[in-house]
Amino acid sequence: MSDIGSDGVLAGVKELTPVQKTLAHGLVFLILFGGWEFGARAGYVNELIMPAPTSIAYRLYEMFFVTGSIYWHYIITMYEATMGFIIGVSIGMGLAITAAISPVFRRYWAPYAVVFNVTPGIAVTPFIIAWFGFGWSSKIALAALVCFFPPFINTLTGLLNIDKDATELFRSLGSTKKQYFQKCQIPSALPIIIAGLKLAMTGALIGTIVAQFFSASEGVGILMQRFAFRLNMDGSFAALIVMSLMGLSLFTLMEYMDYKVLYWRRHSRMEEVGAKRKRKWMKEMGDMSQA
Amino acid sequence: MSNDQEASVSNIELNSQYTGTLGGAVIRHTLIFFVIMFIWEMANRTGFSNPLLLPRPTDIVASIWKIYVTQGNVWYHLWVTFQEAMLGCLVGTVIGIALAVAAVLSDTFRQFLKPYIIIVEATPRIAVGPIFVTWFGFGMSSKVALAALVCFFAPFVNTITGLLGVQEESYELFRSLGANRRQVFWRLMIPTALPTMNAGLKLAVGSAFGGALVAEFISAQAGMGILMARYTMSLNMPSAFAGLLSITLYGFLLFRTMEVIDRRVLYWLDDDLMAKKSAKRAIKFRQELGL
Amino acid sequence: MAEDIVISGSGLGKQFNETVIAVEDANFTIPRGSFISLVGPSGCGKSTLLRLISGLIEKSGGDLLVRNAEVEGPRSDIGMMFQKAVLLDWRTSIENVLLPDEIRGTVDQDAKKRAWDHLQLVGLKDFEFSFPRQLSGGMQQRVALARLLQTGADIMLLDEPFGALDEFTRERLNDELLRIVEGPDITTIFVTHNIQEAIYLADQVFVMTPRPGRIAAQIKIDLPTPRHIDMLTTPEFNKYVQEVRDVLAGHLDGQPL
Repeated sequence: MSDIGSDGVLAGVKELTPVQKTLAHGLVFLILFGGWEFGARAGYVNELIMPAPTSIAYRLYEMFFVTGSIYWHYIITMYEATMGFIIGVSIGMGLAITAAISPVFRRYWAPYAVVFNVTPGIAVTPFIIAWFGFGWSSKIALAALVCFFPPFINTLTGLLNIDKDATELFRSLGSTKKQYFQKCQIPSALPIIIAGLKLAMTGALIGTIVAQFFSASEGVGILMQRFAFRLNMDGSFAALIVMSLMGLSLFTLMEYMDYKVLYWRRHSRMEEVGAKRKRKWMKEMGDMSQA
Repeated sequence: MSNDQEASVSNIELNSQYTGTLGGAVIRHTLIFFVIMFIWEMANRTGFSNPLLLPRPTDIVASIWKIYVTQGNVWYHLWVTFQEAMLGCLVGTVIGIALAVAAVLSDTFRQFLKPYIIIVEATPRIAVGPIFVTWFGFGMSSKVALAALVCFFAPFVNTITGLLGVQEESYELFRSLGANRRQVFWRLMIPTALPTMNAGLKLAVGSAFGGALVAEFISAQAGMGILMARYTMSLNMPSAFAGLLSITLYGFLLFRTMEVIDRRVLYWLDDDLMAKKSAKRAIKFRQELGL
Repeated sequence: MAEDIVISGSGLGKQFNETVIAVEDANFTIPRGSFISLVGPSGCGKSTLLRLISGLIEKSGGDLLVRNAEVEGPRSDIGMMFQKAVLLDWRTSIENVLLPDEIRGTVDQDAKKRAWDHLQLVGLKDFEFSFPRQLSGGMQQRVALARLLQTGADIMLLDEPFGALDEFTRERLNDELLRIVEGPDITTIFVTHNIQEAIYLADQVFVMTPRPGRIAAQIKIDLPTPRHIDMLTTPEFNKYVQEVRDVLAGHLDGQPL
């Protein structure tokens, strides 16, 4: 980053060691939350609106370790989101792959893709509830709907926009369509497909929660809404934090998947995978240095 | 913080590579559309499909007429939702851009902001809906607030990416010309970032609508979201569908309008507009010099 | 001495649409084991001619015979190399070299050993398990060359393979290329816009001029082999350079490039 963007006063901050950086972050955190706590306790901020961090923390503790009430809601929500994700992604990628392979199919479905893109999936919520009822299937359905689009559009674009030269290479080697699909199209498209999956993960969680807001009896979303409507703000914030945790765990999962699958984008991973393949080769072929 | 989704629907839109001539495509699809409508209608009349799930096309058309003309109640709700979404979008975009600019201009700020951004990114922001409704009441402000929160992210991330995408050589050029920080910002960084920022704005508008609708689902007295919810709850499916179609149509129009504005502002990305601008400027220049 | 003609074209032409005649009336015979350079400015049709021979595009008119058979599509005795190495980023060097065998379904111990040897031949010892992004441009082209050798093709078509590299790397790779393809078995056609490179490498230089693309001259290069970098400054070499320039200048009078 050029020095034109630097902050003159604290320019030295960049040079801190990782330990010092963590401490600095910790300090900022303490200041923010300390101020919040103080404001709440001292009556500057209405506790009904913005409860003190400590009461939120206590409520969290209660939910997890005392009553254990949160686990069931957590599991239900994760279940709904995961099922919705699986369904939405399967349909999305399946349609995309079909459209990529068959120009005829593509011709007929492309315009509908445009139309669907423009409707916010959320708008269909009342219909989903009306069709699927109040149980968990409506949550799964909405999650699937919301998270269908990114994998679809990303997989399709990824499979269709292959480097022309790579395509020509495969043609010049006399490859079949299937070989081209497996060895060229899919790996080339992987980065953008995975980006789509990441979006789908967030989408599935959002779909589940919105459906829960609309009507549900179980789940972290409805739990949070109930707390809020009864003015139990600590509980509400606590539930929000639980949802944050869900999101963060999904996020970490996604990053891990990205790290493992897209090894050719990171030097450290390339070294790892290269060394692994070398070992495998040497074992299979014997020591080649005698050649 | 990354915006990996490079795919856009326009890649698979109605361009000749995929659908043949435009005229042919339109005719073909209109025909298919009418065939589907006919089958749908017949299925309903003969009792094959449940009108509670999928109402007859003729009923839908009748409802459209009703809500638009005879009762005319849809106009008010459309206006409400539109306001909520647009205001929310404005607020969210402004805050998003402001934070992004601050993050780019000050390394320190960016360092400290990062962990909080990651947490906010991982949390499904829609989940804050009930809390906002409790805070801001059942009126419009809670919808605007949620819309703002939901749509703040895309402009934020995109503005950062755009501003950071300025090449080192460009900075060097400006430095060598003795430009001050303000000039570098307005004459180099912002124009370079505009395309990406624009993309973020488009995403924001879409999300803002979603946010407004969700807030309405949670609790509202007016707006398209609550309108559709009421219709579905009272099993008035034709009217509910009419509402959904309205939203889809306006979403589409909005999308198109944004694309047009997009192209005019970013004239240097379009060959025709560039030619026109260049001609206009040539004329102006000659006038000034009296040539 | 009866020469074994491996590729011949007569009246060969390629037209892309009503206005673009990429290649017009190309007549040539290429003996087995020879090295032909196709040289000319951008847009003269040299890449198109190469692709016609390789079977990647169809001719519009005329005849084109490879080993006395009409060219109908890519064939296993013809191999190509492009200006971009076109390596698959997610495969190690040796896996990239094995791609032709994978596609043909002939991957066995033998093939793997050959792939290894080819990588040694192009000078990439210790880089067999590196990924393309870990390699420099020159090294990537070496992998591409090894892959080409792996196809077992004895007709090699190279489309400006070293054009994107710096001069020093290019000179080294030129020498290595000559070393690898020397002998009566491999027939090579090398496309370039660099006149010196064209003359340095070849037995014969086909000079092509644009709009429409034609082979304006076929110049036999009578320089001693193996070629050496010092030859570039000899008067004989420069005579050839001048000859090629004259051909080009004669046909390009007044036309902007």
